[in-house]
Amino acid sequence: MAITISNLSKTYSNGYQALKNISFDIADGDLVCLLGPSGCGKSTTLNIIAGLLDPTSGDIGIDGHSIIHEHPKDRNIGMVFQDYALYPHMTVLENVEFPLRVGDHRKPKAEAERIAHRYMAMTGIEEMADKKPGAMSGGQQQRVAIARALVGDPKVLLLDEPLSNLDARLRLRIREEIRRLVKSTGITTVFVTHDQEEALSISDRIALMNQGVIQQYDVPQQLYLNPANLFVAKFLGSPIINLFDLAYDQSRKALTGPTFDIPLDRLDRGRMRDGLARALASGKVIAGIRPEHFLVADAGRTPDFTVTIDSVEMIGRYSVLHFDADGVHAASTVDARSPIRDGDRVGYVIDYGDIFLFDEQGTRLY
Amino acid sequence: MKHIGLALRYVFIVAMAVITLFPFVYMLSGSLMTYQESTSIPPTLVPAHAQWGNFAEAMRQAPFARYFVNTVLVAGASTLGTMVTTVLAGFALTCLDFRFKKALMACLVALLMVPYEIVVFTNYSTIADLGLLDTYPALTLPSLASVFYIFYLTQYLTAVPRTYYNAAKVQGCGDLEFIWRIMLPMCRPALFTMGLLLFIGGWNNFLWPILVTNTTDMRLISNGLSAFASESGTAVQLQMAASAITIIPILILYAIFHKHIIEGVAQNGIKG
Amino acid sequence: MSAATTSPAKTAKVSTATKVSTATRRGPFSYSAERQPRAWLFLAPALFFIALFNVWPLIRIFVMAFQTNSLRRPKFAGADNFAFVVADPEFHTAIANTAVFAVVVVPMGMVISMAIALTLNGRMKGGRFFEALFFIPYLTSVIAIGIVFRYLLNGDYGVLNFLLGKVGIGPFDFLNDPRLNMAALLIFGVWSCLAFNIIIMLSGLRSINRNYYKVADMYGATGWQQLRRITLPQMIPMLTFLAIVNFINSFKVYTEVYALFNGKAGIGNSATTAVFYIFNKFYVDHKYGQGMAAGVLLFLLILAFTLLENALLKKLSK
Repeated sequence: MAITISNLSKTYSNGYQALKNISFDIADGDLVCLLGPSGCGKSTTLNIIAGLLDPTSGDIGIDGHSIIHEHPKDRNIGMVFQDYALYPHMTVLENVEFPLRVGDHRKPKAEAERIAHRYMAMTGIEEMADKKPGAMSGGQQQRVAIARALVGDPKVLLLDEPLSNLDARLRLRIREEIRRLVKSTGITTVFVTHDQEEALSISDRIALMNQGVIQQYDVPQQLYLNPANLFVAKFLGSPIINLFDLAYDQSRKALTGPTFDIPLDRLDRGRMRDGLARALASGKVIAGIRPEHFLVADAGRTPDFTVTIDSVEMIGRYSVLHFDADGVHAASTVDARSPIRDGDRVGYVIDYGDIFLFDEQGTRLY
Repeated sequence: MKHIGLALRYVFIVAMAVITLFPFVYMLSGSLMTYQESTSIPPTLVPAHAQWGNFAEAMRQAPFARYFVNTVLVAGASTLGTMVTTVLAGFALTCLDFRFKKALMACLVALLMVPYEIVVFTNYSTIADLGLLDTYPALTLPSLASVFYIFYLTQYLTAVPRTYYNAAKVQGCGDLEFIWRIMLPMCRPALFTMGLLLFIGGWNNFLWPILVTNTTDMRLISNGLSAFASESGTAVQLQMAASAITIIPILILYAIFHKHIIEGVAQNGIKG
Repeated sequence: MSAATTSPAKTAKVSTATKVSTATRRGPFSYSAERQPRAWLFLAPALFFIALFNVWPLIRIFVMAFQTNSLRRPKFAGADNFAFVVADPEFHTAIANTAVFAVVVVPMGMVISMAIALTLNGRMKGGRFFEALFFIPYLTSVIAIGIVFRYLLNGDYGVLNFLLGKVGIGPFDFLNDPRLNMAALLIFGVWSCLAFNIIIMLSGLRSINRNYYKVADMYGATGWQQLRRITLPQMIPMLTFLAIVNFINSFKVYTEVYALFNGKAGIGNSATTAVFYIFNKFYVDHKYGQGMAAGVLLFLLILAFTLLENALLKKLSK
């Protein structure tokens, strides 16, 4: 089902403003990640959708029908909690069938068990039916939690940092499984995480949040390739994007810094935005250059600047070269086979077509 | 040197254990003595022949069976009642949010400071006003809720993540269903300890029953025993037998559940 | 490079604002996640009994303390009851006895309990067994044990006098000699208070991080040094708590006296305590006003100590 979130605000009783008038739509069957640092409002949003928190103002609609005054049980949602909240005194089967055995629409035992077994088979935990959650690994508990969330055949699935209690290797696998599962059931899914890689790999769309505001709501690729503002550019990408404070030199028509300059004529006119002229007039611009857009200059080419490499950090499929750009730490990535070592002098060419410019407020200019 | 130290420690502990246990052992021993043995000089430690008849005689002289039943009924009802009111209140205070919750908690904390030994007298007036003196309700009513145990349970429940309640709520589980099917099983150890301590407290209760009862039939075991002690004069062996009747059920409970009881008291510093 | 990052994304694809059908069920009974007035329903049974038997009696104490002794037609008596109680020699005895009880029993009980707890906490076999033994007096009826103590302390055939006679002291008629009544009460008091103290102290000792001792061992600290430099400082908040709990409890001593002296407060009320005084005024003499005036005074005293406890503990936990 489609979810419409309009003008949602939340101020906690201690005065903390967790959400500032956010609005976005989730299409039927989409898997949407709410991504952001802790305190950005992502969990608050999820809990308001679930009906575990009240919004201060605004509305949430599921298929055009407002739900904010509905009891959670009437919202047709399933939810997976960060700590799974599996009932320790019940077996896996009892946990999974629990939603079918309580409340106004209680199902007969046999029917509940049949449905529970279907979802347990789907999540691959059928042979653990009689185990207690305490005797299971984190990944298995996670699957029980998902099966329990799905067993009531909800129209919306909410997942609150469901992978944060798993080790790194398991996380990769489970997130693939979650994606496969929700896509095969066609359920609309909202997934909260603070892990950018997780969000990028799993989502149809990502709502990147910070300080109670949606910074960008888009498909993962766009978030990375076309960040809406400085925050988005900084939040996504590893190693983190390089940032340089540059001054605009009117006479040379170039942004100038201590290590390198960016002549305006090298930039792609089509990517320039309205605010650029105003920012240039003020004289100050922030350049954001991703590590992969510092290219090591080939023998024949004149480098835009040359620096000494401080250290080489081997990651695996690539290496990170750390260098000092006159007081600003910067990094670039090169192929893992690169012969460059600590202390080497390296000439760089800047990939001007892919760099970003921001004004001091973080608004994207280029 | 180390061995001497260790030996000294054992000597000290054993000596203190003897001092602690001696009254109990001597009570049991005394309960089986003849009158002559119990008042002999030097004192008899072990009776020549166990006088089991002392128990029958004590039971004949005072209606200990009746006291026993009264105490089981009153302590049982108080325990059950307190558990019910405490569980409901504990649920509300940990799982629900409502206006004036903080103020209510503050009031309850303040009430913790009110000594039982003082309000017990005005409670007597209240029971007298209600015309309930010398009845079972008089013995039971004031101990159907406990501020102390509300805190005890609340403290335990706050250690249980709130997400259990949230999960249940999303799954369509009603409040009473949640209490019955999730909260109670999850805090069973705490409730069990609480029940034991409540029952033992009810069993040993003395000041309240002596205030609100005046007929023999309504006495609880402690004030029945105290009345018997003054009526039986110098029949020490019968007094020991009666004391043993009072204490032995608790000792049996303790022998079975000492782990729960000690843990419960240690964790919460219960006194009173 | 101090770019503020809060500006809402201008390019973010913000809601296409499909207007949601407006909420219709906003009323007092519509769902709210954060305001659940039904909580009062769950609280009601407990609050009913608490109001009737904790709050109301408290108010009533203060009311009755300022009224004449008649239950039927009480009149306002001003501070007369307080004046009477404060001048009453029997009240003086009660307060003095209570103070003696507190000053003797609390420190002695604490020292002995601490010695036992420290010994048990060491690497001692059967520690848990002894712990369980030492706790028994906490659970058993004070009346029953008091009757046993009457027997042990008997001036003619009591075991204690027999033992004291063996070392050439006594005999003491603890129960019938008014000068010795308090001594009997103190012996009973110390014996009774050990159980609770030992359990609480042991749980405190066990909660001290074992690694502190491992490090101290590595540096060659002796057992005595470890006790003084690690154990005692770590235990101070708990010992303060226990001391004050014990203190407050000694203000409330009643059943022990009743049991030991067979319903009286010793010979000629020589071992009377504050609660015993209130009990006699209220229940025996029917001087309700005076009894409750004494109750108010005792309550204020206990309140002062409770507040002192809270303040001290707050300070110590910092």
